[in-house]
This record gives sequence, C-alpha cells and structure tokens, in this order.
Amino acid sequence: MTGQNDKKYERRQFLGRVGKAGISIAAAGLISYKLYDRQGPNTGADAESLVTLPDFSIPEKPGQAMSIVKGAERKTTVNKAIELLGGIERFVKPGETVAIKPNVAFASSPMLGATANPELVAEVVRLCYKAGARQVIVTDNPINDPASCFTLSGIGRAAGQAGAKVILPKDSLFRYTTLEGGMLIRNWPVFFGPFEKADKLIGISPIKDHARAGASMSIKNWYGLLGGRRNVFHQDINTIIAELSMMVRPTLVILDGTEVMVTNGPTGGSVSDLRRANTLIASCDMIAADACGCGLLDLKVSDLPYLSIAEKAGAGTTDYESLKPILATAG
Amino acid sequence: MREVPGRNRRLESAISILLLLVLVIIGLGVFAKQFDVDMGRFGINATDTGLPSQQIQPERQDQSVLETLMPEGFKTLSEAESYNSDNLYEKINGKAPLYIDSGFVKLFTRRFISTEDESLWMEIFVYDMAAVRNAFAVYSQQKRADVVMCGILDPQYAYKTGNALYFIRDQYYIELIGSAETEKLFNSMLEIAKDMKGRLAVDKVTEISELSLFPPDNIVAGSSKLYLKNAFGFEGFTEIFTCRFKISDEPITAFLSECSDPRDAQTTAESYYNFLIDNDAQAKTTANQILKEVGAKVLDFYGTTEIIFSAGKYVGGIHEAEDRKAAEDLAARFLERLSEGAKAIEQ
Repeated sequence: MTGQNDKKYERRQFLGRVGKAGISIAAAGLISYKLYDRQGPNTGADAESLVTLPDFSIPEKPGQAMSIVKGAERKTTVNKAIELLGGIERFVKPGETVAIKPNVAFASSPMLGATANPELVAEVVRLCYKAGARQVIVTDNPINDPASCFTLSGIGRAAGQAGAKVILPKDSLFRYTTLEGGMLIRNWPVFFGPFEKADKLIGISPIKDHARAGASMSIKNWYGLLGGRRNVFHQDINTIIAELSMMVRPTLVILDGTEVMVTNGPTGGSVSDLRRANTLIASCDMIAADACGCGLLDLKVSDLPYLSIAEKAGAGTTDYESLKPILATAG
Repeated sequence: MREVPGRNRRLESAISILLLLVLVIIGLGVFAKQFDVDMGRFGINATDTGLPSQQIQPERQDQSVLETLMPEGFKTLSEAESYNSDNLYEKINGKAPLYIDSGFVKLFTRRFISTEDESLWMEIFVYDMAAVRNAFAVYSQQKRADVVMCGILDPQYAYKTGNALYFIRDQYYIELIGSAETEKLFNSMLEIAKDMKGRLAVDKVTEISELSLFPPDNIVAGSSKLYLKNAFGFEGFTEIFTCRFKISDEPITAFLSECSDPRDAQTTAESYYNFLIDNDAQAKTTANQILKEVGAKVLDFYGTTEIIFSAGKYVGGIHEAEDRKAAEDLAARFLERLSEGAKAIEQ
C-alpha cells in the first residue's frame, strides 16, 4: 500500500508542478505578447504624411542629352554647354521657379574644390533669370554648419549677388519620404521644402575623389537632400547613391571638371589635391554625366558600382557615348 | 511531504537558482539591447528629423590647446569645435572611416581670419589619434605627392603644400589649411605650429623604430606610410610600413611589419604568399644568394614582382616592382639592413 501511496503522491505532485510550470510559461508568453512592439522603433511619419520629390525631368530630345565642353573659364564653358543642349530656354520657361542644388557640403575655400564653384553657380542663376525664371532658389543641406558653408565657399554671396534666394536648411523644411522599391530610403527625412513648389531642378557639382564612394559627382550631390543621421548609409554607400538617382529626377546636371579633386576627397584641403582637367559636362542624364566624369578621376564605370545599380534601376545609362554627347571647346 | 529516495534538494535548488539567474541575465540583455537601435535598419525617431549638426552638439572646446592660439594679425572666425567618433562625419564626411579605423579619439578645430583681408582665413584641425603610430598612419596615407618637407617640428613628419601645413606631434595629427596661397597666411600657420609645440602635452616626436630598418640608400624622402590593417588588400597584414625607393628612375615599394615572434612572422609571410598564389601570382626562382638563403619567395604578379621574406620577428618584402633584378637587389639589401637593425635593437 505504501508503494501505491508513494506513486499516487508522486503523480499528484508531478501534475501540480506541470500545472505551475504551464501557468508560468503562459504568463511569460502573455507578458511578452503584450510588450512586443510590432512596429519596431518609431520611424517618424505615418504613411499618409510621406512626401515624394516631384519629377523635374523634361522630355528627351535625341542628340541633345549631353554636352562636354573643354575650356578653363567656367562662365564660358557652362554657357556653351547649355547652348549646345538647346539653350537655357529649353530647360527654364518664363515664370517658373528654379531650384539649384550646388554641392555646398563643406565650410571650405572655393580654391580647394570641395564645393561647387561660386562663379559657376552665379552664372547658372543669371542664365535662369535670363530665360524668364520668376525665382531662382539656391539651397543645400551641408555636412558642416550651413551658414559657414555658404559663407566660406563663397556660394552664398555669389548666388545672392546674381539674384538668387539662398535657403539654408531648417527643421521645418524636412519631411519624410519613402522611395518606392528602395531598401534604405524608407521613412527617412528629406530636405523637401525648397523643392516642393519648384518647377525645375538643376544640380551643380564638382568632380571629386571620395574615400568611401570612390567618387563624388552629380548623383552623390543629392546626398545633401538627406536629413537625419545620414552617415549610417555610408555602410552601404553604393546602394544609397543608386537610390538617390531613383529619388531625384533633375532637369539638368552640370558636372564641373575644370579642376578635379583627385586625392584626399571628399574634403581635400590642399591645392595639391587638385588637377586641372578643363572639362565641363552638362547632361539631362546624370548617370551618363557621372560615367563620363569618372574618366577624369582615372576611374572606370566598373570602379563605381553605384553607376551600374542606378542604370539597372532605370535612372539613366552608363554608356554615355550612346547619347552622342556634343563636344566643343570654349574660351 | 515524504522525501523521495535519492533526491538531492540542495542540488536541485542550486540548479534552479542558476537557471533563474541565466534567465534574469537574458532578460537584462534584451532590456538593454532595445535601447541600441540599428539606425540604418529602422531610420530615426521623429524628433531627430533636423539637421545633423543640431543633433549632436560638439562638446565644449579644448580650452588648453586651441583657445589661446592666435597668430598676429588674425582674429577668431569661428569658435573652437570638437568632434568624437560619433559625429566626426559631420566635419569630414567620407574621410571619417580612415580616422576612426586608425584609433581616432577626438578632433578639435578652429578658424582664424585676417584682420586686414577677409579673404585670408585658415582652419586648424587637431586630431587626437591616441598613439603616434595611429597619427602617423593617417598622416602618411593622406600625404600629398611632390610636397616640400618642412622642418618646423620634425622634418620627417611635417610637410607643406601651397596653402597648407601638415604634421604630427606624438599622438596628434595636425592640419593647418589656408584659404589662399600667400606668404602671409603660411607664415601665420608656421607661427601657430611653433606655438603649438609647447602647448600639446608632449615635448618630442616619438620615434617610429621600424622606419630606421629600411635601407637608407635610394629611399625617397618622406615616402614612408603606415597601413594599420588590410595592406595590399590582404587581411592578414596589420601595421605594415612601406617606403618608396627610386632605383634607376624606377619606383620600388618595400614593406615591413613586426610580428610577435619569428614563428608568427613566418606564418604571415606564408599566408601572404598563398594569398598572392590564390590571386593568380606565379612563383619564380631567384639567383640571388641572400634571398635563397632565407627562403624568400619571388612571384610574378601580373607582370610585376612581389618578394616576401621573414627575418626574425619581421616580415618584409617588395611590392609590385616593375624591374625584378632591382627588386631582388633591394630585397637583399633590405635583409642585410634588417639583420643589422635587429642586432642593434637587441643590444
């Protein structure tokens, strides 16, 4: 009898313990279920409030997609390059608002070529007004302190003197965007305000070596539109640059290879980092412009993986010669 | 309750407590991890939508080093700023990884502008790299070609270009960058550089002993570089010094690294040899007696010559030389020098 009692007691004890363990597991599961955050960290904006940058591109014109002009004087070469594409009137209509996005990333002297050349920016502003633009905006979201960047690069003063409205970034000008099909630009703050009501968009950038990306040219210039802690994208630099080419559809890009930063980019710092190439490229296809520009850095298209990714995404062509670029010398 | 025969209550209790402790540690780990968000994956919080420079305010400036620096005829253009590894990208963007991967601690910067000519201004960058080797790594890897070596502090570790001055001072890598190429600006930079000599918490440049182990003949002055890792695309190479030589107008690069012991040096040399073979290099024989004696490997790598050897705790060699004979001769001289140098260090 004693043995049977022991067995009964052990069975009862076993069932009791199983029951307690079951309750403990259920309680832990319930607490975890209640605490589980399906959304993950707050990513900023509701789907309804996301914005998309307007498409600023213009209809293609066969044989007038790209021009490459040789010359030492930027004012002369940019006038010639735009004239070869059909003139500024093709790109800017009377009464339009034009946003110009130069590379103003650093608070650096214009002599060092880390930012767009101020005289070049001013000349494009003048051309836009000449075509009848109602307003020309010059803006960027620099890496360094914005006011210092616009001041020390000389772009603020040059653009202002040419009649442009210079817009410095502030929080209220940022909105969230998600790039359709994008892996990185998802619910991310973008410098949107100055472009919201613009009719046309022109990018102006120097050609620079870039320690992380290989080169900084027309497409990389749009990195300035990203807000937040955008340096996290440096871990996947080729994808983010390719996504920028999908996110931004400019009217025209001007790639300045008059002096090229061949070493220590993107900041440079010494005149020794520059090499005179006396080349200026104007293009409706920024992938083609960069594919051409990388040659001035002694790079091949295959050295810059983001170009092929952007091409596959339909942002343009790396075979810039297929566009039959118009070649000229000016000055 | 009756005791079940063979049951060890103390052991059961101990195991239970141990398991509970493990669960508590896991719980704490999960709790802590939720505050470590991968921004690249999730984006940022809605409150962080503003400008990068407004999100991480640079901490208060290093008063002791920068605030009292003021060249004659200049005034402050911008207050001193400091950056750490979290926000360095806000100052130098794509160059930040070079510094961070090389032991970067802090950057202090400040701008000065001429009181007479506002087009003349300069910015000073003081990078605290924690160790002289780290400072030398970033200094040497960014060194411009065809520059003038400058003897303000140490001719080996300072150079100037048309608008700038670069030097290292112990663990500090310092850049003075001017807005124009003028004598006035450059003289003011020199003034600052000399002034800094007494302000930094060091009184001399620490010697980098490996550089003296390269053969002195035909060496290109100031051409030495230090790669802290992944030199020549090979992951196994850490702290590799390189020096350029010019022999019969042909440039040749020699390299050297100190390993923990001779066995480690041998293993590293063999690993690099295998790495080259795996990448289609062809092993070649050599007639050079000195190279033969130490078992140096000579390879043809797409028409260039690579030589690898180990000597004591050093691994060294020649990288991508156009002229094999000159490369072998230099490697032999290098081995002799290493042998002398090792003896000198031992003594």
